[in-house]
Amino acid sequence: MIKWLLAWRYFFKRPISILAVVAVALCVFIVLVVMTVMNGLLRDFKQKNHNYAGDCIIASDSLVGFGYYEDFTSILEEQPYIEAVSPMAKGVGLVHLKQYKWDSGIEIHGIDPLLHSRVTSFADTLHYQKQTPEDAFRPQYAPQSDGCITGIELIPLGRRKTDGTYLYHDKPMRMELVISAFPLNIKGGLLRSLDLVSTKSFYYSDDSHSGLVKVDGAVVYIPLEQAQILCGMDSPIKRISSLHIRFADGESVQSSVAKVRRLWDEFVAQNINKPGGSLFSNVRVQSWQQNRRSVIAPMEKEQIMMTMLFLMLGVITVFIVFVVLYMIISHKSKDIGILKSMGVSMSSILGIFLLFSIFIASTGSLVGSVLGWIFLYKINDLEDWLYKNHNWQLWDRTVYAIGDIPNQVAPEVLAIIVGSAVFACMIGALVPGLQAARKKPVQSLQVNQL
Amino acid sequence: MVIAIILGVCFGIVAHKAERSGVIWAFLTFLIYIATGILFYFVSNFLPSSISIDNVIVVAVIEVFIRVALSIFIAAGFLRGYFITILEALLCFRYLQHRRIVLLSMAAVALSCALLIATDSLFTGFINAVESSVSRHLGDIILEAPSGRTLTEYDTFIDSLCQTDTVKSATAVLSSQGLLLSAPGKVKTARIWGIELPRRLAVTPLHEALLFQKDKPAEQVGFAISDSPDAIGGIVGIGVLAQPDEITDAYDMDAVKGMLGQRMALTTGSMVQDRTNTDGSQPQFSRKVIKFNLADVAKTGVYEFDQSFVMLPIAELSKTLYPDKEPAANLIHIRLTAGADEEKAMAVVRGVWRSFAEDRFDWYGFVSITSAKQLNAQLIAEYRKQMTVLLFIFGLVSVGIILLVFCIFYLIVMTRRKDIGVLKSCGVSSGSVAGLFVLFGTVVGVVGAAAGVGLGWLIIDNINAIEQAIASVFGIKLWKASTYMFTQIPNTMHWGSVLWITAAGIIAAAVGSLIPAVAAARVKPVETLQYE
Repeated sequence: MIKWLLAWRYFFKRPISILAVVAVALCVFIVLVVMTVMNGLLRDFKQKNHNYAGDCIIASDSLVGFGYYEDFTSILEEQPYIEAVSPMAKGVGLVHLKQYKWDSGIEIHGIDPLLHSRVTSFADTLHYQKQTPEDAFRPQYAPQSDGCITGIELIPLGRRKTDGTYLYHDKPMRMELVISAFPLNIKGGLLRSLDLVSTKSFYYSDDSHSGLVKVDGAVVYIPLEQAQILCGMDSPIKRISSLHIRFADGESVQSSVAKVRRLWDEFVAQNINKPGGSLFSNVRVQSWQQNRRSVIAPMEKEQIMMTMLFLMLGVITVFIVFVVLYMIISHKSKDIGILKSMGVSMSSILGIFLLFSIFIASTGSLVGSVLGWIFLYKINDLEDWLYKNHNWQLWDRTVYAIGDIPNQVAPEVLAIIVGSAVFACMIGALVPGLQAARKKPVQSLQVNQL
Repeated sequence: MVIAIILGVCFGIVAHKAERSGVIWAFLTFLIYIATGILFYFVSNFLPSSISIDNVIVVAVIEVFIRVALSIFIAAGFLRGYFITILEALLCFRYLQHRRIVLLSMAAVALSCALLIATDSLFTGFINAVESSVSRHLGDIILEAPSGRTLTEYDTFIDSLCQTDTVKSATAVLSSQGLLLSAPGKVKTARIWGIELPRRLAVTPLHEALLFQKDKPAEQVGFAISDSPDAIGGIVGIGVLAQPDEITDAYDMDAVKGMLGQRMALTTGSMVQDRTNTDGSQPQFSRKVIKFNLADVAKTGVYEFDQSFVMLPIAELSKTLYPDKEPAANLIHIRLTAGADEEKAMAVVRGVWRSFAEDRFDWYGFVSITSAKQLNAQLIAEYRKQMTVLLFIFGLVSVGIILLVFCIFYLIVMTRRKDIGVLKSCGVSSGSVAGLFVLFGTVVGVVGAAAGVGLGWLIIDNINAIEQAIASVFGIKLWKASTYMFTQIPNTMHWGSVLWITAAGIIAAAVGSLIPAVAAARVKPVETLQYE
């Protein structure tokens, strides 16, 4: 009990403790704000990638793709833990937009829009056909023509507004896109040697806004069968580039991916000797995190680097707590001597100062967290105000694909920050605390020390 | 150095007149000037060769700044008649030697300064690299024809440009988009450039970037294929042919070298006619396929260029895309003479363009003439903003330094009350006692900031080695060209920011010592020296 009382008394009676509290509060405030924003951006980015890819992806590394996917899809659809499966044919191509005399390299994604919407959030990325994805490839102005959906950033029409949203017409504009691709045979060679390139016209029917810059700036979605023809995947064995899978609600992604991997291995063993069976060697079964690792990893690394930098600065907090404790102990040698002469143990003396450091950390963390939470709660309003009055944005939305600044404080992040603050304070208190505990009453209570 | 010595002697004379211990102080002042002179001589002579002349000038400015600041600091003290005595200086150094806790505040100042310097230098280096890479590889000024239009007789235009004082060289480019089939199953989108090789080498450092012909004299560099002289040769970016390793971010150079002379197919296209047909129908897009052999591989170190460019002779590309026209281009890349004013140069280019194109092209007014800096101006502005925000956040955390110095100095004042009482009982004024602690704080700031500059410089200078060490030990590649545009981390120290960061560190330490200094000044000897 005396430990608590003394620690409490030192905390309130020594004004210098306020400095340590201010230092802790400042660090907690800054780290909470920065980590919440960075964590929010990363979480948002991961979610967008998950929405784009589905839960599990069986994909070929080669543009040639792999065959017999319909058989394997049937097997997958029989599994109770699988909700839906969507095949995709991928290729690279060249698009020419007639009206604007504009051309660009693109990624062709051939999909069944309804199936793909069941596996991914594809329908949510559409603007005009959000509610009816089955009609996504049917241009409203030419329902009989083959439609295509372009990534919102692909055609540079300057539709992105300063707040990060896009300008849309009431109905899709009439645009004819001529798409060319190299059709590859099952060995990766050119399929039609006399006419190297396949070309077909499509009519713009909708935009897809996934929030992923590389996808929105390069992808054109066309019907699966058309993509197979353009890329030479229609014969002699129908091929695709990837199968996207959505698991049933409540199923663990990792364990379900492992089950799918086993099924795939069995399927490959049965079909490896069929024509085109060698293409299975290029196929990987991956969770969405593994599949999108190359784009997610750099952001995760940046977050880790930022955390390391803040850890270095957190060292200053340790120093401050150390000095404050050292100062208090140097002034309380008489008290410590009296306590020890009354029989208080070394560990109890150490406990007093560790408790004192915990009080500092708790109060500082509380103040920093509350201030950080208020700042985060108002951060978007503050940015709006700054933009309206001073034309200043934290991130220029015409450059970065970011909507609102993430401001949801994650409990686990807060817990880690507060835990780190307490730990840092205890580290700072350890050496002075030990010094106090090792003081000898006979020395600290002699008359020339008083 | 001479000026420094004269200043030192002058201040020494002032000191001699102001205080009894002036002769010693004059000597100390002289020593400080000599020491700063030697320090900056060392810094100037051992700066890495990568540091530009601008940075050397900045170092010189810092040197002058420090000397002037020292002079003002010392002179102000002497003029007020109470600031420094030899006793205070000795006490200051004695405290520095005997209070190990002071090292903590120095370490904090050093850590914060190093962090701010490293962050600022890395960001500034990156921004400069983005700015200069565009200028290096595209020229200082870019003239672009409107979409779907091409300019012919570009030789005449380039000759006219080169006759002006501001333009050093210029080259024409025919740009298009395409698909490259480099090997079975390997298809990639590509940006196709028809280039005129001799002129391009004068405008950009393409020669240095060529893997196979960089050792040849510039006039011998070409598209020729040794085995088949009639074949069309092409130069392809290394990233188009191969992907960098996941861990090391390095290309498999043996595999790339094995592709030399390999046959590749490129598909692109053009409009059959520029205008709406006479029957009212829309013009048709004509697809073209060009087969060429790999004549060389370009490795510029800029990811965007290496990852997308395929370069062919402009005459061949023009003949394929526009068979009915004489050689055409849609871009002119212009290199200015050294020191040319960009705004004036752009006006000159506009004038030359107008006189050249007015009678030739009805669309001449729609051409875009921009500087390389303008091309990335928005992105650069964003990077600068992000850097400012990051430095502000780190700066805010560094406010902790003030608190730390305050705590340490307060601790020293509290534990040295008897010393202060003795000093004051010997006749030392309150101002002198306060000055002692402010000087002490400033010295802590100076030493800490100097250590921080050294640490920051060490980090920046060895940043690529540090990154490689992390990659080899932990298998984590922190810097990838695909994410950060360049193969190497820019490692140029930004001396311009060192000045304000150092000043901020010293001021923070001095501010932190202010309240303890006042507390020390208010110590009453009669209270601190009584027996109880």
